[in-house]
Amino acid sequence: MRTDGVHGRGAAASALPEEVFRRSEPDARSHDEEFGQERFLRPFAVTAGDPDAHAVLGPESSGLDMLSLVVAARVPGRHEWLRPERGAILGHALRARTVVELAAEVRLPVGQVRGIVAAMVADGSLQRCGPSRSLGRQDILHAVLVGLRSL
Amino acid sequence: MASADSETRPQEAIPQAVKIIIAGGFGAGKTTLVASVSEITPLSTEEVMTEASYGVDDTGGVEQKTTTTVALDFGRITINDDVVLYLFGTPGQDRFWFMWDELAEGALGAVVLADTRRLDTCFHAVDFFERRGVPFVVAVNRFEGSTVYREEEVREALDVSAEVPVVLADARERESCKEVLVELVTHVIRGRNPVMSG
Ligand SMILES: Nc1nc2c(ncn2[C@@H]2O[C@H](COP(=O)(O)OP(=O)(O)OP(=O)(O)O)[C@@H](O)[C@H]2O)c(=O)[nH]1
Ligand SMILES: [Mg+2]
Repeated sequence: MRTDGVHGRGAAASALPEEVFRRSEPDARSHDEEFGQERFLRPFAVTAGDPDAHAVLGPESSGLDMLSLVVAARVPGRHEWLRPERGAILGHALRARTVVELAAEVRLPVGQVRGIVAAMVADGSLQRCGPSRSLGRQDILHAVLVGLRSL
Repeated sequence: MASADSETRPQEAIPQAVKIIIAGGFGAGKTTLVASVSEITPLSTEEVMTEASYGVDDTGGVEQKTTTTVALDFGRITINDDVVLYLFGTPGQDRFWFMWDELAEGALGAVVLADTRRLDTCFHAVDFFERRGVPFVVAVNRFEGSTVYREEEVREALDVSAEVPVVLADARERESCKEVLVELVTHVIRGRNPVMSG
């Protein structure tokens, strides 16, 4: 039973399997047990000793979220064929790109691209960059409103 | 001294990237909405997950691992030189909560698409954003042949608070999607400036 007073939603859903409500936990990661036999985890890879292996990183471990911006700090070099993903990422990052766009462009999972990008930032191939003008939240919201209206 | 570096530095302004989440149940029209307003063909990417299950066979309690991929699609709207808006459709399967966590982090707000054929499929999204304090609007996506609900009926069924806008929409219509997003941003601005809401 739900005890948080969201009676309308709960009552309308009384015919639904219990499961639906268990899945309504805001942070399922701390409630894995409730999922029964299975749970989903962010994956990780151990890359000890292999500098070319790509760790699959989450936002916490990489310090990069999907919208973090990076830009190429060098042009793709002649050794890039050994690590084609890196070459592709550099090629797409000649202009500042978000991590998620790079993932879509090089057709690799976000977690993996995050790992590669983090490694490339560390070795100086990519640079993180912030926006040229940093706007306050209200300014952003107003700009977005005006922009959407004029679409 | 000129270095190779300077040639690859961007000359143009780098805009700030902001996002709005498009959530809702399986098949509610999330991808359709993103496609209707995006300036690019929605891009798709994946997240690979490790699925761990316990004690399902005679290895007794030994963790089994298989991987599952979740598709994530997103679109983009260039607002001006300083701001680019990304629209992220949440993964259809609602059990991938960690994706939701990351998507919701720092989002301007969310659109919950309510599918009139199965209103209950968006309950979890409503719960999620309410509990996270992420401002959202409910967009009622009408499908042919399904019950026609009035705004108040949807509001009652979903039990959202009075200040949460509930709007009728058609995810296939660009104008309609635009209105939903304008409604959301207006709602977010209003929420932060109660004095102006008079
Ligand atoms: N009648 C009607 N059909 C719609 C509307 N929006 C989407 N559809 C159709 O519904 C189907 C599912 O739409 P999608 O946009 O793929 O839904 P989704 O929420 O992204 O689905 P998942 O990602 O699988 O959860 C498509 O065939 C759409 O053409 C709408 O507003 N009205
Ligand atoms: Mg979809």
